[in-house]
Amino acid sequence: MAILEIKHVSKFFGGLAANSDVSFEMNQGMIMGLIGPNGAGKTTLFNCITGYYPPSKGEVIFDGRRMNGLQPDAVCKLGMARTWQKVRPLAKMSVVDNVMVGALCRTNSLKKARAMAMEQVRVVRLEHRADFLAGGLPIGERKKLEVARVLATQPKLLLLDEVMGGLNPAESEEIIQLILDIRTLGITQMVIEHDMKAIMRISDRIVVLNSGEKLAEGAPDEIVKNPEVVAAYLGSE
Amino acid sequence: MKATNPLYSRHGASTVRVCAGIAVIAALFAFPRFVENPYVLHMMILFFLSTLMGQSWNIIGGYTGQYSVGHAAYFGTGAYTTLILLSNWEIAPWYGMWVGIAASVVLALIIGSICFRLRGPYFVLASIAVAEIVRGTALNLTNITKGAEGILVTDIPVFKIGETIVTDFSSKVPYYYIALVLALTIIGVTWLVQHSKLGYYFQAIREDQDAAHSLGINLTIWKNSALVISAAFTSLAGSFYAIFVKFIDPSTVLPLDLSVQIVLISIIGGIGTIFGPVIGSLVLVPLSEALRSNVISEGLINSGLVSEESGVGIFLKEHLAHAHVLIYGILVVVVILFMPEGVLGYVRKMASKKKRGEA
Repeated sequence: MAILEIKHVSKFFGGLAANSDVSFEMNQGMIMGLIGPNGAGKTTLFNCITGYYPPSKGEVIFDGRRMNGLQPDAVCKLGMARTWQKVRPLAKMSVVDNVMVGALCRTNSLKKARAMAMEQVRVVRLEHRADFLAGGLPIGERKKLEVARVLATQPKLLLLDEVMGGLNPAESEEIIQLILDIRTLGITQMVIEHDMKAIMRISDRIVVLNSGEKLAEGAPDEIVKNPEVVAAYLGSE
Repeated sequence: MKATNPLYSRHGASTVRVCAGIAVIAALFAFPRFVENPYVLHMMILFFLSTLMGQSWNIIGGYTGQYSVGHAAYFGTGAYTTLILLSNWEIAPWYGMWVGIAASVVLALIIGSICFRLRGPYFVLASIAVAEIVRGTALNLTNITKGAEGILVTDIPVFKIGETIVTDFSSKVPYYYIALVLALTIIGVTWLVQHSKLGYYFQAIREDQDAAHSLGINLTIWKNSALVISAAFTSLAGSFYAIFVKFIDPSTVLPLDLSVQIVLISIIGGIGTIFGPVIGSLVLVPLSEALRSNVISEGLINSGLVSEESGVGIFLKEHLAHAHVLIYGILVVVVILFMPEGVLGYVRKMASKKKRGEA
């Protein structure tokens, strides 16, 4: 059953089409990789799906419900959560308090929220940092904090925007393991990533965007052999 | 970087701190029994009033990060509502203040729905503009507010519960207790906010609005909640001021100066902390009083540091009393440069440095 359907979504900024006529579906529990060269419209598509921009045309259907026009907070409450390419820690709050803000979306009790938050802090293995101010964390731990915070909102669908960007290979490996762990929790994930090796390893299916349009869709091994994709990345001839 | 803010401590307040707090509160309640000097009581009342205003602003400015520089609008609304009801219809201020709160909350929701679409400096400018509109309205709505002439009341009705006279407001003492209770109430409210979902959501909005929005926080609802709490208590401060001074006009309860002073109480003390506005008031109230009453220039002259006949002496005597805004400005610059987290933040930083030094 499709948990997310993107139907002919377009987004125009003035005359520029950041996304044009993008359609695909995601099934429950899968990991979908979203790739494409810089400026292909990946983050714009995330913003259209999660309510930051209303799509200019087309529809986003999540869990059988039309999402167009919903604000990000409503989208989050319905069970769709996203992380940010440029991390956004709540700098003057501690790690566990950051995650509690996410958990408070599901409960009004601070005690429950703290328990829920600690659980997610353990999932991303940041328990030794729980009482540290988020603003003081190194980039690798900030990325994990982002993931813990959105997990605490109890999403059905998680959209991860370059969670491996700027990380060293060891840290990237930890994030890959984390994404695979999250899959075992039954959470569907859409992952934007530039690290081709990583994305090929974790994705069940991949959608390739180029200049705002969907260039290709398929299993990882089909995508690497697709001549159009190769051309988009390396230039033709 | 370990969190040092008590908000992040899971152990709560220590027994020593609770005892010290109770002792201070008890001392404050007993104070008028031992000190009868009306001037001292007057200063204490100003200190409590300043704490009330600063702490009210702290909820929207310090915790939620929305720097409203238009809080005079709520202060003035409280003051005007209370005195108009009293002078025209003889409605006692302890009923009038509730009407004032209601009026300020409505005003806050109108202002919030307009200004919260804006962020950062644009929000600040809009909040100033709206407060100036309120001032202009009060100035020109002469049949209700008497415009620039102001409203003067001579008698505050006797406060009775049933047939028992609680107080007749003939001395400063009843004002002292009212102001003390108001100041303690807002400190209590701030504590409650900080230890509830509200505090987490307000601070999340302060730290990063977009991140907060994506974590399920409805920005409109929560920003307006913070503003409503803040406006209600600022309005109470206005109502209290009106019956304490018994005279109001647009240039005393609605000017931009007042909005700026309200902001400074928190900024100087330390924003987003429970005791910041208390510390800020401890600095600002005596300072502004000293400047206004020429104590500083007289002190300098009497101590022999500056000769009375010299140019400097004459200049100080003539002008220092009018220069309190200038001194305020210098103080803000100093605080921002050397103590960006306010006096309280600075003291905490020094304390933790010292601790580390010893360890």
